[in-house]
Amino acid sequence: MSDLGFPIKDLTRRKFQTILTIMGLTLSTAATIFLVTFGESLGFHVFLIMGEKLTIGLSYVFSLLIIIIGILTFLAGILVTSSLVSTNMYDRTQEIGIMKAIGCLTSSAISYFITELSIMVFTSCVAGTFLGISARYICINVLNALGFSIPQKPINLLVVLLVFFAFVISTHLLGARPILKANKVKPAKALSPLFSLEQTATLKGPVFSKRGFTFKVAFRSLMRKKFVTLQAIICLSAVLCLITVTVASGMIANQTTQNYVERAIGRDVILIAHTNLSRQYENLLSRFFEEKPIEQINYSDPEYFIDESLVTELNSIPKVIQVDPRIIFETTIVEVPSIVIDPEEEEPYRIIGDSRSRKTFVIGIDTEHVINKWLIEGSVLNSTDIYSALIGDSLAYQNFDDAQKQSVLIFNEKFKIAGVCLDPLNNGDVVYVPLKPLQDFTKSSGYNLLLLKIDPTNRSKIITEIENRISGKALDYLELNTILDKHLVFLNSIWSLIMALPLFSLVTASLSLLSFMMLSITTGQQRELGIMRALGAKPRTILKIIFSQVLLIILTSGAIGISTGFILTWFFLILEAVISPFTIAVIIGWLLLSLTLICLTSLYPAVRITKKSIAQIIS
Amino acid sequence: MKEKAISTFSLCKEYRIGDSIIKAINNIDLEVTIGEFISIYGPSGAGKTTLLNLIGAIDTPTSGKIIVFGHHINAYDGADEDFLATFRATNMGFVFQSYNLISTLTALENVAFPNELAGWSGERSQKRAKELLKLVGLLHRADHLPIQLSGGEQQRIAFARALANNPPLFLVDEPTGNLDVETGLEIIRILEKLKVEGKTIIATTHDERILGLANRILHLRNGRIVTDVGK
Repeated sequence: MSDLGFPIKDLTRRKFQTILTIMGLTLSTAATIFLVTFGESLGFHVFLIMGEKLTIGLSYVFSLLIIIIGILTFLAGILVTSSLVSTNMYDRTQEIGIMKAIGCLTSSAISYFITELSIMVFTSCVAGTFLGISARYICINVLNALGFSIPQKPINLLVVLLVFFAFVISTHLLGARPILKANKVKPAKALSPLFSLEQTATLKGPVFSKRGFTFKVAFRSLMRKKFVTLQAIICLSAVLCLITVTVASGMIANQTTQNYVERAIGRDVILIAHTNLSRQYENLLSRFFEEKPIEQINYSDPEYFIDESLVTELNSIPKVIQVDPRIIFETTIVEVPSIVIDPEEEEPYRIIGDSRSRKTFVIGIDTEHVINKWLIEGSVLNSTDIYSALIGDSLAYQNFDDAQKQSVLIFNEKFKIAGVCLDPLNNGDVVYVPLKPLQDFTKSSGYNLLLLKIDPTNRSKIITEIENRISGKALDYLELNTILDKHLVFLNSIWSLIMALPLFSLVTASLSLLSFMMLSITTGQQRELGIMRALGAKPRTILKIIFSQVLLIILTSGAIGISTGFILTWFFLILEAVISPFTIAVIIGWLLLSLTLICLTSLYPAVRITKKSIAQIIS
Repeated sequence: MKEKAISTFSLCKEYRIGDSIIKAINNIDLEVTIGEFISIYGPSGAGKTTLLNLIGAIDTPTSGKIIVFGHHINAYDGADEDFLATFRATNMGFVFQSYNLISTLTALENVAFPNELAGWSGERSQKRAKELLKLVGLLHRADHLPIQLSGGEQQRIAFARALANNPPLFLVDEPTGNLDVETGLEIIRILEKLKVEGKTIIATTHDERILGLANRILHLRNGRIVTDVGK
């Protein structure tokens, strides 16, 4: 028979298994190509819509998550496809034995089956690549029709080729393993109807008879087919880790970033300032979610300043929790280079910084009465060190080498940078310094901004009181809750888009695992389940046995995959994660839904077997 | 008049392979009384195993009727699979030509399997399995997996498993086909014992010793009963 004749005939005669393997492989490849390329477009879209919006710290959280999801999708895809192929090739053991017994050369036997493997792998990977690219194209068009503006930029060929070749190589490596191994088995052994590669010949541990009959049979079956079980556990762990990272980190990150912003702006805060400054402050805050032009204002205009007496009056209003007086200026700040000492380096003294200058907003704050609770890397400002500054994350990234080791020149005075804060004001391009030195440098007294933290239970009464106190003073008040809610809606909309990814991961995982379980059952277990039925096992018993197996695999994989996913999310992806009981409930709900879906889809092959004629199965 | 164990009426089983239809069983009418030992012989492809599968309710006929112990078994289908499973577990002991032991279970567990299916406690079913392993002379192999047993030993384990529920009907497919003379003799002894106990036995075979043991001998060819000796 020709080199191609046997493999093609063998594949077509094992129609069901071949279709199942090719289908699983194609789906996995397509899903991975789709997720990686779509994730890239999505990341690009998020980057585009951020443009002049959002702070760099928050952009980093989004990008990191998309990258991690991409990498995990890629790894999970490789594992699932390799396992599918490997499980399929295990079934060739007896054929290799027969071929060798009738005098076929080892090299010919290997060549036949490796050709089979290559035909399946290349067919699926090519089909999967086209399917993945088409799915991406369709998905972006559908999303854009729904009102998004994701760019239809050209496919990143490098990424596609990387996925394609990674799949081809890994599936060949794992798929060839059983073929090469079967070649080492003596023909007589391979010909035994009970022989199965990688089956453990000895049993360890006690018989779990007390834990129920079906559980015992399921457990034994899993333990004897250790390699296949291990493969299933590794695959499922990777997929569950992917689902956990996308679901949990998506939700936690959504809540956490919303919390960062809410802490930075403050809930139930009222701004009091001159009408021009009030509008300016609103614009500076709105730049987080929409592009706003910034007016040129003379911030030292005496008309904008508020007397200390008004501060005292506002403080006396019942239910005003805190009054936070501030002074804002727009000025050019200059980066101060610094010497970093590291005795372990080749050059122990290193100069960082380049005296870069930038026009930005400098805000003087009363360190004792600050309302905001920013997410800070470093330390907060304190009353004892008046020449220290807190800078926004975007400013730190754009104008400094290592901000926390540097200083900043403001009005020609050097301020040591104490920390970097995540602040949506002017998209994090802002500097906070203690109030006193700023008042001294600008020779101004009083304040040009007041932030009031109020008790929300008496909102209307407090507003009336404030209106009374500021009437006739050219001052305006602005409730920041309205603008804060716009921030949160904006963040939520980005997260909603990113959260589409776990849905795809879940569908991919379920389909791939369904193929894997079907293949695993049809190649390894079908006959035994048929024997059990012939001996009187009811369809329910067969389902229970398969369910127990699936449950054991899912519980083990769940413990590994979900915990790894949480560790990744908790320790590497999100700083100071904020999780409400509701979020935990939603995450658990999602994960349970995923596990149930995977569990139910995995049961389909068992249902199929119970419907088949017993004689057909065991013949 | 003896009570009937099995009756078949115009039993047919066809297989479609490509465009051609193969009649594995062609219009068989058969009556077996309780306690009868029937041997079926015939060339390969005559339909012996198919007939056993149909009587054993692990396959469904294309047409015709099968009544086993008063139950029209091919009338139960799909939704009644539970009934058939219980019926098989309590009334039939199957010994397959290729043994069909469950590879992931030990010899003891394989024998205990039908009783565990019937809901016996683990302890009770294992006790019974040990008795049966002793009966077939393989108690010392109780903890071995099928892969660690010889063909003869696997066949004896399969017999022990068929005896587990003490069923009234035994369906035995080529019990000595793969065995040497001496091991075959052990199997024949077991069949002899079952016959003495009054069990109904249908065995497909080419082994003259088994044919000699039977009350009736059927000769099957092309899915039809050609001769029925001893009726």
